[in-house]
Amino acid sequence: MKCDVVVIGSGISGLTAAALLAKSGRSVVIVERTSRPGGALKRFVRQGVPFDVGFHYTGCLGEGDVLTTLWDYLGVRAIIPIRPFPPDGHDELSIAGYDQPVRAFFSYRRLRDELERRFPGERIAIADYLGKIAAICQKIPFYNLELPLTPFLRGFQEPPVSLCDYLTKLTADPQLQAVLASPAFLYGIPVARASLAVHAMVAHGFYRGAYTIDGGGQAVVDAFLRILEQAGVTIIGKNRVDEILVEGGVAAGVRTDRGQIIHCRDVIYTGHPSAVPAMVPAGIFRPIYLKRIQGLRNTASMFAVFAVAPDETPGEPDWVNHYHIPAGLAILPETARVPRTERVLMMTTPERGRLPNLKNNHRGIILLRPALWEEIERFAPTGRRSRPPAYLAWKEELAGEMIAAAGRYWGESYAALRPLAVGTPLTFRDELAAPEGAAYGAQHCLGQHNPGARTRLPGFWLGGQSTLMTGVVGAALAGLVSAGEILGLESTWEQVRQCR
Amino acid sequence: MMSNDELRRRVVATLAEELELDPEALTPEATLYDDLGLDSLDAVDMVVALEKSFGMKFNDEESLKAVRTVNDLFELLIKLKESQTADEA
Repeated sequence: MKCDVVVIGSGISGLTAAALLAKSGRSVVIVERTSRPGGALKRFVRQGVPFDVGFHYTGCLGEGDVLTTLWDYLGVRAIIPIRPFPPDGHDELSIAGYDQPVRAFFSYRRLRDELERRFPGERIAIADYLGKIAAICQKIPFYNLELPLTPFLRGFQEPPVSLCDYLTKLTADPQLQAVLASPAFLYGIPVARASLAVHAMVAHGFYRGAYTIDGGGQAVVDAFLRILEQAGVTIIGKNRVDEILVEGGVAAGVRTDRGQIIHCRDVIYTGHPSAVPAMVPAGIFRPIYLKRIQGLRNTASMFAVFAVAPDETPGEPDWVNHYHIPAGLAILPETARVPRTERVLMMTTPERGRLPNLKNNHRGIILLRPALWEEIERFAPTGRRSRPPAYLAWKEELAGEMIAAAGRYWGESYAALRPLAVGTPLTFRDELAAPEGAAYGAQHCLGQHNPGARTRLPGFWLGGQSTLMTGVVGAALAGLVSAGEILGLESTWEQVRQCR
Repeated sequence: MMSNDELRRRVVATLAEELELDPEALTPEATLYDDLGLDSLDAVDMVVALEKSFGMKFNDEESLKAVRTVNDLFELLIKLKESQTADEA
């Protein structure tokens, strides 16, 4: 088999890269390890109830925003039912030890008003924080589409500012600290290791508006599959790329575990970079580079409970994501010594709106709590079909613990949630090929240098959320950059942003 | 404080070990890109290796960009050493 470009992995990064390349006339083959494309955006269904694993809500889908613009350029936006949170939609942040929750609105103005009302003595700190977040993002091309990409991607990076140092100096109020640090849940790095710039890139997206999609992440996958099919892109499932073929010092193809060989000029690999050393012939990369990408520190994993209300429905579907968070800067645990019951618990739902009759609709409810690999490591050697009874019992205990907490935090009715599935770091490791079950790939944290799209092997490029930025938006943009490296970075960027 | 000769020796040792370069080729006049075959993709690893080895931060874009030869790197590190030691004092 032969093509111009092989894209390894069919998450949002791979789908984006493939769509961009195909639009520019390249013949593309996507090679996917599992039987179903879509990566973390895929939905699964239990007892007729759909659940999202990796997509709950996102920013960057407003008019003129980067994801909207990219999806317009690719022709998928028109077939993805995007649903903005209404103006009063928000993250409801209940802070341990304090009574009244703080509403983190998806709007700079409403958020500022709420924070000033709740923390009247902290007006200067609030203005400083929101001003800094916006100012940082004004210099980033993905938030200020006037800017070229190259200086951001290749230029000198200022030494990063520690988020912890910044917030500690900014305010001593543990409630306000907790509120300002809370977006860290969406990139999975403990505050002590987080940089202000990475925090800003994630927080800014949400402070400018939040969006869900009817049909969840699966609707995005289906839309991409439709345009990829029209563009003649081939997707080969159930094949894991084991080897990057190199001829004359340049990438020349891939070989899969099932013996498929695909010849090509360029390869984009969108999985976790730690798998690269085993795929590439020895002597291509410098040991220091291999050591760097193999030693990348990972983001937090999650315990996830996918549940439904029993018979009585626990309240109306609302436009609120519920978070119960520790006070201060402890939004994510640094070690497994932090008891699970003291960690953040988040509650969200995969579907909003259009639920005329809750009882017959079985609105799914998802509970998420950060997990660390070390607390599950004892079960690590087991596979999806060989988990021991001790693991299953432990999973049941976890679910019970999280459901009981939801009942305490958000009302007795939630204590009766019926779990249909439970996810742990092992689940995410095995389903999503995520080392250590990391929810957001490798950390983009202080003291760590994530690899970029370019590598020393000509024709071999990296994508995925461990390279450029984290989350759905970050992974999509990493796909844009990896395809852009092949097609011409600035010319691709120019074409995309003409769709504003 | 480390002498300048010692610093030069440490730069050569670090680059030779971490980037697998021939110590003999690491003469002061050797250019990083043409003579040693380093490219912009090696820059991150080179900077990280040197920062770690010397416990210093390359915090000035212009001076880093101006580095062409091994000797430029020596000079930059000597300057950094002096200014960052002064900061601590």
